[in-house]
Amino acid sequence: MEKADSKSRILVEMKQVTKAYASRKKLFTGSSPQVLALNSIDLSIAKGEVFGLVGQSGSGKTTTGRLLVRLESPTAGEIFFNKTPISQLKGSGLKTYRSRVQMIFQDPYQSLNPHLSIAETVLEPLIVQKIGTPDTRTEKVVHTLDTVGLSPGEAFFNRYPHQLSGGQRQRVAIARAIVLEPQFIVADEPTSMLDATIAIQLFQLLEQIKETFGMTVLFITHNLAAARYMCDRIAVIHDGHIVEVNTADNIIRHPEHPYTKQLIKVQPGFKYTR
Amino acid sequence: MSLLSVDHLSIGYQTKKGMLKAVDNIRFDLEKGQSLGFVGESGCGKTTIGMALMGLLPENAVILGGHIRFQGEDLASLTETQWQTVRGAKIAMIFQAAMNALNPVMPVNEQIKEAIITHQPDISKTDLADRMKELFDLVDIPARRMKDYPHEYSGGMKQRAIIAMALACDPALIIADEPTTALDVIVQDQILREIKKVQEATRTGLVFISHDIAVVASVCERICVMYAGQIVETGTRKEVFKSPRHPYTRTLLNSYLSLDNLNDIRVPDMKESPDQMIDTDECRFAGSCAYAKGCAGRSPDWIDISPTHKAFCCNPDMIRRGHGKS
Amino acid sequence: MQNKYFWWRFYKGWRIFIENPLGKTGVIILSVFMIMAMASFFVPLIDPMYDPMTGIDPDIKLSTGPGLTHWLGTDNVGRDILAQLLEGAKVAFIVGLSSAFFSIVIGTLIGMIAGYTGGIIDAALMRFADIIMVLPSLVILLILASLFGQFNIWIIVFIIAILRWPAVSRVIRSQTLSLKHRPFIEASRVAGASHVRIVLRHIMPNVLPLAFLYMTFRVTSAILVEASLSFLGFGDPSQVSWGMMLQWVWKSGHMFQAPYWLIPPGLCISLLTLAFYMLGRAMDEVLDPRLRKEGQTG
Ligand SMILES: Nc1ncnc2c1ncn2[C@@H]1O[C@H](COP(=O)(O)OP(=O)(O)OP(=O)(O)O)[C@@H](O)[C@H]1O
Ligand SMILES: Nc1ncnc2c1ncn2[C@@H]1O[C@H](COP(=O)(O)OP(=O)(O)OP(=O)(O)O)[C@@H](O)[C@H]1O
Ligand code: SF4
Ligand SMILES: [Mg+2]
Ligand SMILES: [Mg+2]
Repeated sequence: MEKADSKSRILVEMKQVTKAYASRKKLFTGSSPQVLALNSIDLSIAKGEVFGLVGQSGSGKTTTGRLLVRLESPTAGEIFFNKTPISQLKGSGLKTYRSRVQMIFQDPYQSLNPHLSIAETVLEPLIVQKIGTPDTRTEKVVHTLDTVGLSPGEAFFNRYPHQLSGGQRQRVAIARAIVLEPQFIVADEPTSMLDATIAIQLFQLLEQIKETFGMTVLFITHNLAAARYMCDRIAVIHDGHIVEVNTADNIIRHPEHPYTKQLIKVQPGFKYTR
Repeated sequence: MSLLSVDHLSIGYQTKKGMLKAVDNIRFDLEKGQSLGFVGESGCGKTTIGMALMGLLPENAVILGGHIRFQGEDLASLTETQWQTVRGAKIAMIFQAAMNALNPVMPVNEQIKEAIITHQPDISKTDLADRMKELFDLVDIPARRMKDYPHEYSGGMKQRAIIAMALACDPALIIADEPTTALDVIVQDQILREIKKVQEATRTGLVFISHDIAVVASVCERICVMYAGQIVETGTRKEVFKSPRHPYTRTLLNSYLSLDNLNDIRVPDMKESPDQMIDTDECRFAGSCAYAKGCAGRSPDWIDISPTHKAFCCNPDMIRRGHGKS
Repeated sequence: MQNKYFWWRFYKGWRIFIENPLGKTGVIILSVFMIMAMASFFVPLIDPMYDPMTGIDPDIKLSTGPGLTHWLGTDNVGRDILAQLLEGAKVAFIVGLSSAFFSIVIGTLIGMIAGYTGGIIDAALMRFADIIMVLPSLVILLILASLFGQFNIWIIVFIIAILRWPAVSRVIRSQTLSLKHRPFIEASRVAGASHVRIVLRHIMPNVLPLAFLYMTFRVTSAILVEASLSFLGFGDPSQVSWGMMLQWVWKSGHMFQAPYWLIPPGLCISLLTLAFYMLGRAMDEVLDPRLRKEGQTG
């Protein structure tokens, strides 16, 4: 990809973004030290790209994702979506933005409201964004459930999350995320709680969705192998810093940063046979 | 005499809809100092086996048949009081996300001391102190951190403390149920090394349960692959990973993403897991098996590939032929 | 479409509720009391002497035991005990349900607002709740009663509601706090849902089981508080209630002479509070799908 070309097709850009959390007050000293979850990071994701964000626990992956979907606002720096700054969006501007970006959460057992049926869950974004009429909405829900492999969609309508397996729940969460046909999806470790056989099917589903809808994906994981399988480019994040960005193959084959090398070393594999 | 010998063990759960057979006719042996891994997808009955070995099955569980012989004694027939002399003392368990099991208002060393004193009430002060030091050394927690409270530990350190607690009474058998599932890769790597090191140093028997084949592969010499309550393949680590024979094992290995197998990932066409409410002698994997053609109406049998390597299938030719793919 | 889900869930909920042994027992006991409460409207129509307050049997001047005209006997001025018992059931329902309902409404709203908004609003609301919570309600009622004389029944209802919401709001607040950062709440924020929608659509159904549990507990305590007040002589003397009946037994010195007069109101108080408790437990299972046993939902 040529440099100038990729510049013009950038969808998401983070410039010098810092996020600090006030950590809990120390009981006696009264001071409240800050946790720097992200330390002045730069990131740009091109349209149609699957971009991987890899790092260990606490490195700031989820924070990045939450900033991008505006669940948090940056402490410093700016985030651009389609060249528009988003961190000051409010009211209807924010609502419109939220129809364009969606998130898939890590824990399929926590990310669905136990009191809503599957149909209600997937319907919810359409109602909130006032898209379509009740009839077309239902149609859309059935169609989306089919797309994510829960077919026939009607069979899942009246089921509740607790009646589904982890893999099926994550499919519902994906359906909820794509029902608005967003341009950008943040997938935060969508399979880390699921079995390999189920994970690989979800990866394929994500890929297929990405192709059909032309979506851009930020794929967050601590599993380098999964990132390599899914992504065009990978960024390695460590302690709130992006330490390395490269194409998926290059990151694995020619890691430059020592941290990347360590991550590669500890990836489980079957190389243990003596 | 083996340390642990499980024979034709079946365990069911009583549910509103009827009996759910969570563990079906399982047999395996474990010698002193050996490690045995159980791997299989969620719900295949791994935890149920672990709980049975600890005498901690939930109330609605029923042992439908079989024996669990531990050091010659049949555990399946122990009463709760008899269990209390075994549990923690001779058999210890490391649970999934066990780090949350530490008492937040008690220093870590006190909790481990308590575990020792429960089973050795008349241990002397100096012996106790020595034992504590030994345990913390074993799991690589610096002595100066012994008196910390759990919240001052990182996730990985907490899990180490749990390992120390499991080792407190010098058990003959440790059961580890997904001990690293809640941890990140780097910490997981450390903990797996720790478990392996400790197990080799103390010559304890280890039953290691995980849904992650690579994790099991990194710790255990022998592997049992489970599907829907049954063991479908068993063998040494090398046999199972280098030449998997059962179609389910192959599916599992084929769909496992590791850094060096990206090009030959095959996305399995897995159906829903079979309904374990239905009691059948036929192969449970038939619904997702590519070789299932002649299998309807037949019951699978154990097929020997080597003295240590066996698979449970109706199709001996296919199994013996192997497919060379790992 | 929405409607269909609603009715489907209502039906399912009712089925689960009625299949639950606690729920079943609670409903049976409660229906008996309901019938009693209903009957209280009709009994005086049979004969004015069956009016619980003013109906005096002209033939009777003393408290008498059970008989043909007065199945449970009469009190010391010749009023029918059964008629009073029926009236008492009606009053207990009114007092219990309305005061519980008001305290739940107040408590749930305040709890959700405090938990969801956090910060200063939360702190202020909770301090306020603390202050009210530490006020001993029975003592306050007694003090108020001794200042203002005997209470009208609605004032009792109102005071109980005002004094009892903080406990509810504490529970609802902590539940809201734990829900606020759940991924499914965040998912609806990401979808663009407004705060009001999040609170009403996503948080409320999740705290409602607790609110109802609390409501039924509150019903219990409201009935008990009303009974105690009345028994101690601070009740509404123009209004028959079970507590008032007990007070009359006591004041007229029949405590140990007239078991037929003493036992029915005491038994009714215990049974009704027990029924509400059972209902609370069963209600919890209906409203919280995670508590449902497998196989009941289909
Ligand atoms: N709401 C918060 N308040 C205070 N600190 C926070 C908050 N959220 C995150 N942090 C801190 O910010 C850092 C980055 O957290 P983040 O959740 O982004 O990590 P992560 O890479 O997603 O880790 P994991 O793999 O465990 O999900 C951590 O040190 C974390 O403790
Ligand atoms: N108390 C119980 N009552 C009824 N069924 C149960 C109970 N516990 C487990 N089961 C069922 O028994 C089967 C085996 O469960 P088990 O927990 O042993 O699986 P597992 O292999 O450990 O799965 P995971 O990887 O999810 O921990 C599952 O189908 C599960 O739903
Ligand atoms: S018995 Fe048949 S269906 Fe089952 S694994 Fe073997 S070949 Fe496949
Ligand atoms: Mg995270
Ligand atoms: Mg388990």
